[in-house]
Amino acid sequence: MRHPLPPEIESLWTLFTAPVVWALHFLACYVTAAIFCAKPGLLGNDFFALRTLIAGITLLSLAMIVVAALLAWRQWGFGTGDPPHDDPTRRDRLLFQGYATLLLSGLSFVAVIFTALPAVFLTECLR
Amino acid sequence: MSAQPEPTRDKATEEAQLRAVWAKPTGWRYWTSVNNAQVGLWYGATAFAFMLFAGLLGLLIRAQLAVPQNDLLSAETYNQVYTLHGTVMMFLFAVPIFEAVAIFLLPPMLGARELPFPRLGAFGFWSFLIGGIFVCGSIFFGVAPNSGWFMYPPLATSEQAGIGADIWLLGLSFIEVASLAAAVELIVGIMKCRAPGMRVNLMPLFAWYLLIVAGMILFAFPPLIAGDLLFELQRMFDWPFFDPARGGDPLLWQHLFWIFGHPEVYIIFLPAIALLAMIVPTFARRPIVGYSWIVLAAVGTGFLSFGLWVHHMFATGLPQISLAFFSAASEAVAIPTAVQIFVFIATMLAGRVIFSTPMLFAMGGIAIFVMGGLTGVMVALVPFDWQAHDTYFVVAHLHYVLIGGMLFPVFAGLYYYYPLIGGKHMSDRVGRFAFWLMFAGFNITFFPMHLTGLRGMPRRVYTYPADIGWDWLNLISTMGAVVLGIGMFAVVMDVTLHRRGKPRGEVNPWNAGTLEWISEPEENWGVRSIPRIESRYPLWDQEALARQVNAGDWYLPDAKEGRRETLVTSVLDAEPEQVLRVGGTSYVTIISALTLGTVFVALTFKWWIVSLISGLAFMAAVLWWLWNGTGDIPEKDGKDIGHGISLPLYASGVKSVGWWAMFITMTGDGTAFASLVFGYFFFWTVHADFTGGIAGPGMFWPMMALALFALSWAATLAAREANRRGKLAVAWILLGSGALTSIAGCAAALAGPLTTGMDPTAHVYAAIVWTLVIWAALHGAMGGIMQLYCLARSLAGRLTARHDMELHNVALYWHFMLVTALVTFAVVGLFPEAL
Amino acid sequence: MAALTPVFSACSGVQSALDPAGEESGQVARLFWLMIAGGLPIWAFVVALSLYASRWKLEPLREDTAARVIFWGGVVLPVTVLAALLAYALWLMPSLRPFAGSDDATLRIEITGRQFWWHVVYKRPNGVRVVSANEIRLPVGERVEFALTSDDMIHSFWIPALGGKMDLIPGRQNRLSLRATKVGTYRGQCAEFCGTSHALMAFPAIVMEGAAFETWLNARSRPSSGVHAPGTGRALFERNRCGSCHRIAGTQWQSTAGPDLSHVGSRLTIGAGQLASGSEALASFVADAGAVKAGAHMPANSHLSAAELTEIATWLKGLQ
Repeated sequence: MRHPLPPEIESLWTLFTAPVVWALHFLACYVTAAIFCAKPGLLGNDFFALRTLIAGITLLSLAMIVVAALLAWRQWGFGTGDPPHDDPTRRDRLLFQGYATLLLSGLSFVAVIFTALPAVFLTECLR
Repeated sequence: MSAQPEPTRDKATEEAQLRAVWAKPTGWRYWTSVNNAQVGLWYGATAFAFMLFAGLLGLLIRAQLAVPQNDLLSAETYNQVYTLHGTVMMFLFAVPIFEAVAIFLLPPMLGARELPFPRLGAFGFWSFLIGGIFVCGSIFFGVAPNSGWFMYPPLATSEQAGIGADIWLLGLSFIEVASLAAAVELIVGIMKCRAPGMRVNLMPLFAWYLLIVAGMILFAFPPLIAGDLLFELQRMFDWPFFDPARGGDPLLWQHLFWIFGHPEVYIIFLPAIALLAMIVPTFARRPIVGYSWIVLAAVGTGFLSFGLWVHHMFATGLPQISLAFFSAASEAVAIPTAVQIFVFIATMLAGRVIFSTPMLFAMGGIAIFVMGGLTGVMVALVPFDWQAHDTYFVVAHLHYVLIGGMLFPVFAGLYYYYPLIGGKHMSDRVGRFAFWLMFAGFNITFFPMHLTGLRGMPRRVYTYPADIGWDWLNLISTMGAVVLGIGMFAVVMDVTLHRRGKPRGEVNPWNAGTLEWISEPEENWGVRSIPRIESRYPLWDQEALARQVNAGDWYLPDAKEGRRETLVTSVLDAEPEQVLRVGGTSYVTIISALTLGTVFVALTFKWWIVSLISGLAFMAAVLWWLWNGTGDIPEKDGKDIGHGISLPLYASGVKSVGWWAMFITMTGDGTAFASLVFGYFFFWTVHADFTGGIAGPGMFWPMMALALFALSWAATLAAREANRRGKLAVAWILLGSGALTSIAGCAAALAGPLTTGMDPTAHVYAAIVWTLVIWAALHGAMGGIMQLYCLARSLAGRLTARHDMELHNVALYWHFMLVTALVTFAVVGLFPEAL
Repeated sequence: MAALTPVFSACSGVQSALDPAGEESGQVARLFWLMIAGGLPIWAFVVALSLYASRWKLEPLREDTAARVIFWGGVVLPVTVLAALLAYALWLMPSLRPFAGSDDATLRIEITGRQFWWHVVYKRPNGVRVVSANEIRLPVGERVEFALTSDDMIHSFWIPALGGKMDLIPGRQNRLSLRATKVGTYRGQCAEFCGTSHALMAFPAIVMEGAAFETWLNARSRPSSGVHAPGTGRALFERNRCGSCHRIAGTQWQSTAGPDLSHVGSRLTIGAGQLASGSEALASFVADAGAVKAGAHMPANSHLSAAELTEIATWLKGLQ
């Protein structure tokens, strides 16, 4: 059977996937809004368009985090084993990585939503 | 795998050899030691001394503010005192104390003999000591920095700031370099020098935290270094980065400072919490509950802390939509912090807690820190911060966070780890007495400040009127400060006097489970032999481990070749990969630090000749250090480390620790560069026409420079390939011509702004273009020196087809250099054309 | 309620953010008390739980139960509380400082920060323009827009009783809008460290009834009759070249390098909120401003006799 998910990567860096998505999302929101407000006209003058753009970036980021979470969930054996994953085996090391990555995906998911909240409540640059 | 003693070994000789190789030098040569146990101790003691000094300054502040209209200190003296109090506490205590603890503890905790670059660690310490004395000493001459610890221009760039501003900038830049050195050391140490079997899921939590913190330093400190550079260029050469009359903007400094400044709070906080993550399980008598949650909290905090910096700038008039993003991230960062606290609570709930003195400090710290966290949630809300910002409310908040989140945990760590220093114990009775004095004194001092601030008292005022309701609040704070001071004094007495004549106690009095408690304080070798780890708490789960390790039954129990050696293992599963030979006792670290320190001190006083000469001396010292101390070709290929494992003595490329160090250093360097590029675009957003009508460097010379640097990059890669295939002559030609091309590239880079006559003092556009171009040129020149270094090594036979780590590292440097050149010349050459 | 009186009196004061007399300060004070009501129980809960876990509990919990404590206490609790709090604060922001909508403000006050005093200009759309210094007067109930900038260092303009602060930054033009709700005299102060005597850069902020404010403003738009007062004060002022820095409406002196003195006699304080106004205070400030305020840019006038100082001070005090 062909698996819908890509093959597993054996690396420490996968741990940081979801937080990196948060960081890019944060940067995109901040930089876009800053340029929109500092250079009137360059990115248009319609604040609603900016909010729509932020909403788009947010949905994309959340989708990427969900994919990261799915991959992590698989690495964690779909939750078949309980923590603490402290056996001196490669398998437990993988399970630990999967679990920690899954937790970080959750935090990043919430943090992305927090970061997007300003676009819900503010309707202009207000400077 | 179990430890089988091998019958043919003469353990007594082995042990004597090992002891001789790792022996610390005696007499005055003691100070040339580079061993982590000595350097860590010096580092810690120095940081502690700076803390006491800054604490006395704090008491002076409180004495001045005890009553309204007090004239104990003049306005000018007060401004120097409070600036130095903040500066010393942040830069000379809070950050260095964690580097100290890490250097001291990590090797035994990871089961390593030593960190991978001991001389770099010692160099960092000497830099810190010299820079620290320079900065602190200034107050005795009345020329200490006086513009607040965040040095906002235009005040700090003005005449009024005097030489104090230069002392601050140069003295601290020097110390920031030391912090980056520590970050390199710690990241490579934690990733590559763990005991075999210590997989990432078995790593002590302290190491997890430190790994994240060291990574944060790489991204947090360079923006400040870039900011310092711009600042000093303005102060020395009148380049107008922060002068609005010539297109500059004072807010750029605030951005760069706080991109550093906010993560720094977490750089301070996480290592202290890491100590609690070691202490709490020991006294709860069980493994930590929620190991993965701690990893989540550390990594999550590490990332989120970079999205908070503007919350120090809520009142600067940025668009509210921008403020709101940072407010949101500032709220979000409270989540991983809460996770951390609840992990400790859960661990205590699931264990049987022994309430010792370290636990007392730990719990007191948590109670204080949680309060600081809650007021942090408050000030992170924009409307509330408009009121609270720059008032005593913020003073209260930051002391609750730093003292609860850092000082109390560090004291807990002091009481907990003290037996590792010489096997003696601190006094339990004095500890409890000191704790209650400190806890009460702290709250009496800082709790009223919340109210003082909301009743309108701004921070950084040397005096205040009598009749607006601040007098009795301030008097209470001052009385509390005295109590806090007495508590600290009790601990100092305990550390310095009390231990004399005390018998050596047990080394592991708490019956802790982690590896550092195996170490024998009398020995300088870290661990007698390096064990295979099978648990997060090996001393609890691996029976007889301590005895086997100290009997030399495990890996690498000897030093037959008379060299200091430690194991390098793989990142994820810690499989043994290499025996690494590390640097030993040497003067070169002190000489390097002294010469570099002289450069910075001489720059402060604008003694150009002295700084040029000491700069050259520093370069010579570093080259001598590299030439004689690194990249040695071993006398044999491999070494048997026992239990049938034989490992290579040499590695190059990705497998070598030097390659990792280069990668990490250049990541930090790249961040500083990115900060300068941020500055360029920041000026673009501030002005309708950011060029100020000045002609740019044109397109020809920037593109020419880019092409030359790209050629030099290609030559380096080709030289590496040629050398690998044994075609030495080809490699020599490539390296030589590569160096020449780099020099031509530097010239082309500078030719751009030179030929169009850009005057860096006339307008900020010219200044920032010059800065970027000089940055790229200096890096190109450095790349050229590296190519020549490889050429010399190869000619001297110290670099061969198989032993080619220098070439790999230089090629890696050139990858970064290529990106730097690409960005620089695209930005200065193409971006203005695209407008 | 009576038991709370000491609590509230501990929060009062002319410079207290918890004794609000403005729209923004009122909203923020309410936000503060709301957060205290939420925050203190959370603190007590965490500390009590830690003490329970470390000292009072008898039997250890099972590991998975303890792990659930992390999830509920470390994740669910902060996420819900913080999300609600953040949403409330974000919702509050545009209504507190509605900059775009405040273009129709009928009173605009331009403030320029200087070491260590405030240059103030009142502007009405009908062309009324009044220059003043070191004192702010506002009509109650009216939204007033402030335009803030600086000529030297960064300062910060802050009247806690009315609202939060806003920085005055060289090269930048910042805006603040405040609506006072209660008549009274309050105190404002510079909140961003700006040099030696930063602590001494304050000002009175007086909220007046609308009609009284109108009368006051109109009177200030004409030169004071005191400029023609008899005595040698004016001549001494001229001879000592005070006019090369200080502006006095209705005279040849129009420089704004130092504080405007057109109606200095009617101000409540001297030296940016430092001395209660009066001839003696004026005389001592003229004699040696640096003694009152270290680092002040005004030179000392040590060559003047006490009688001369009194003459100048009396004349200045007459500029009502």
